[in-house]
Amino acid sequence: MVSEAPLPEWATEPCIMGIDEAGRGPVLGPMVYGCLYCARSYQDTLATLNFADSKTLKEEKREELFENLKADESLRWAVDVIDPRELSSKMLKRNKINLNEISHDSAIGLITRVLGMGVLLTEVYLDTVGDADKYRIKLSERFPSIKFVVAKKADSLYPVVSGASIVAKVTRDRALQEWVLEETAENMHRKFGSGYPGDPDTKAWLDHHKHSVFGFPTLVRFSWGTCTSYSKDMVDVLWESDKTDEDGGSNSSGKRQLKLSNVGFTSSKRKTEEIESSAKGRCKFFQARKLEQLTHF
Amino acid sequence: MGEGRGTIGSINLSRKDDEEEVNISGHVHQLPCCIKFDGHCSVSHYFKPRPTDIEVDGLRVEEAYFRGRKLQGTSISLPNGYSGFVLGKKSLGKRKFCDDASEGNTNCWEMKAKFDKLAYWNHESLPSKDDAFVRCFHWFAVAEAVSFSFLYGAIL
Repeated sequence: MVSEAPLPEWATEPCIMGIDEAGRGPVLGPMVYGCLYCARSYQDTLATLNFADSKTLKEEKREELFENLKADESLRWAVDVIDPRELSSKMLKRNKINLNEISHDSAIGLITRVLGMGVLLTEVYLDTVGDADKYRIKLSERFPSIKFVVAKKADSLYPVVSGASIVAKVTRDRALQEWVLEETAENMHRKFGSGYPGDPDTKAWLDHHKHSVFGFPTLVRFSWGTCTSYSKDMVDVLWESDKTDEDGGSNSSGKRQLKLSNVGFTSSKRKTEEIESSAKGRCKFFQARKLEQLTHF
Repeated sequence: MGEGRGTIGSINLSRKDDEEEVNISGHVHQLPCCIKFDGHCSVSHYFKPRPTDIEVDGLRVEEAYFRGRKLQGTSISLPNGYSGFVLGKKSLGKRKFCDDASEGNTNCWEMKAKFDKLAYWNHESLPSKDDAFVRCFHWFAVAEAVSFSFLYGAIL
């Protein structure tokens, strides 16, 4: 999502950009990265527009400021909406991608996009994610022509970041309000609350929408600690990718294999989960195909 | 485990005249995980495969999410002449059909549903012809060449 083209005239002047995020903490919904940029010569005017850290503003005020900002021809903005499914799945891969990395990638993506449009970015301001110095170095190496200012509370220190925080926050709120649940089970509703784990509405929503097999609707970030506290209400799910971590090489014969074929045969004396594979002595043809003769079922 | 203590059981793949065959083609999913649950579940309300533009080895890749993990899978048809069956233990009322009727030791199975298509899903990789699951089908050709009569007899 980008504000409408074509490229404004001021884009060929040296430009500044602020980047900020909304929805990093919530257990559900997308995380949104927003950016706001303008000519450096517009910086003084920007400071008079009353942009403040979006968290300190009431919703109506944020909406109003977002409308002002969209109408201002000296300002441009863009957002990156990261789907909760993407957050969960990246964080639950075998080679886990943590939230800081996802955040860095999103910010880098926004800068790349705006540069690609032909905007002469010379300064970028952003809130720190992880260690500020390391983050600044990472960005500077990636974009040598840009001066980066990475600071804690950048959203209240720099108006251009405050503006970006409004873009991000309003986009996140709207995305959640308009969220269409993928699941079609009965009795589902959309009173998510803010999505923060402490919000009573969010808690009630999670309680109401948990499912013993599926866990939660895909709106929920399964990788969040909040979800772990619900695991007692859910059946265990064992993943192949979680199992083979310890013993490295996947070709070592006689290694423990996760038995998936036994699911369902719970009356059997064999354990339904991990058992010693009887691959030993089996022909390679069968090993490679995970085929096994079943004498008990 | 597997010390040759085979048990004798029977599988009945015929259906009674008054019951319609349940065909669950397109509703069978092989997941890369073990779900420790056995029973009815509203799969189609929660598990929502979506097509992608990706194609590997002529397989159309679909994606779906389960428990927060992204799965990539594909739908495949079983080779000609083969079918998949969902088997269930016979209910106690029909025990007279069984050879061994002693309590807790019945090993008589009957067909609950049939399928000729299924979707299998990978967690960390795109589906391909190299997947163990697809390569399982190689066994059919080998089995037919080696001991077709035995295989045929086992099903009867």
